[in-house]
Amino acid sequence: MKIKLTVNGKKYERDASESKNLLHFIREDLGLTGTKEGCGAGECGACTVIMDGKTVNSCLVLAVEADGATIQTVEGEAKNGKLSKLQTAFKANHAVQCGFCTAGMLMSSRALLNKNPKPTVDEIKHAIEGNFCRCTGYTQIIEAVQDASGQLKKRGGLKRA
Amino acid sequence: MLKKLTQFYYPKTVEDACSQLANAKEKTSVLAGGTSEALRNDSTIEALVDLSKIKELSFIKSDSSSISIGAATPVQDIYKSDLSGVSGELLKTAAGKIGSTLLRNAITAGGNLVALFPWSDLPAAYMVLDAEVVCRKGKPKRTVPVINLINSKPASFLTKGEIVAEIKVPVFKKGTGASFAKMSKTSNDYSLITVASRITIAGGKIEEARLAVNAITAQPVRCEEAEKLLVGKKPDAELLAEAAKKAVAGLKVRKDYRATEEYRKEVCEVMIRRSLEESIAKAGK
Repeated sequence: MKIKLTVNGKKYERDASESKNLLHFIREDLGLTGTKEGCGAGECGACTVIMDGKTVNSCLVLAVEADGATIQTVEGEAKNGKLSKLQTAFKANHAVQCGFCTAGMLMSSRALLNKNPKPTVDEIKHAIEGNFCRCTGYTQIIEAVQDASGQLKKRGGLKRA
Repeated sequence: MLKKLTQFYYPKTVEDACSQLANAKEKTSVLAGGTSEALRNDSTIEALVDLSKIKELSFIKSDSSSISIGAATPVQDIYKSDLSGVSGELLKTAAGKIGSTLLRNAITAGGNLVALFPWSDLPAAYMVLDAEVVCRKGKPKRTVPVINLINSKPASFLTKGEIVAEIKVPVFKKGTGASFAKMSKTSNDYSLITVASRITIAGGKIEEARLAVNAITAQPVRCEEAEKLLVGKKPDAELLAEAAKKAVAGLKVRKDYRATEEYRKEVCEVMIRRSLEESIAKAGK
């Protein structure tokens, strides 16, 4: 079935298989492999994308459901090869270790910052509650979001790790 | 995987959706938030009707006598709403206990009820709040108690071309308190035990009692024997302990590889007792 959608500001029109989920469509049909597949069952959040302003597990959305939607993936973060402030903060605060959860973490953080430019630690924790990290540790990730929103007093980062 | 799926419809109105379902020649299923449908392993479904884009199904309204929630309202909207009072607070608590932000953005007020899994969080809350469900078949509609829909399984309760459009919850008088609790291994995990209760106290005695559990059972159930035991009595520790014991004794516990039946029954009894205590404490405020 033909679907039209906007991903990271670019318009796409593609023939999508009805049984394909949005995650596989983004990776395989659009070639945007930044979004990762973890559990494939809506539990880990590795596949988080922003769809019409809200974060969703793209593995639980059928591609055809996204017809007409505006989507943002991790590829929409950096502009002209320059990392976004949020990405830079993740790097500076050692919020990336293996990196598998990072694309999802960035999307959940981005959706939060879009609505709430100065989130509290509690609000950050809530925003990333559906994103599992199994190696970096959540503290650095929370600090990175605080840093990106200009609220981090002291960078713990590497020392903590 | 929905291997045989070839058709996908996006109706814009309830009437369109219902006529699409009523006239479907293919094997058709309904999709709202899509969280269970996307993972469904059913190679017989040929068409899906997506209700998530129907604006008239997404709303939260409240007045002095009731709260109405559109069936396609994401549960995150309920969780973040400014609903208040006994019913509003209970709905917000139950909605907030569902999975994560990512899941709550997709899961809907109606989908959580109609898909009806043992671990669904909202149905037990709907049950203790005496919710009613507005089912629509195009323009015609019928309003039924939520318990009827649950007891006869939504899939067989709804006729061809009929959908759940709205959930209506009454506002309760002063002297009423309610509580919702869920036990799971992590806050994102499927519930192991869900307990909801509502108590109205008048003249120092329990005037009305509602108690429902889910997850430990295969589907949400009201513990009517325990409710009967409570009504008309002065709420004291002994009575609540007896009611909790009676409620658990009446449960048909489902198999769950995460914890033994004995363990879940023991925890469930404690959760029910505490839930009743909490509802009573709130009723007194």
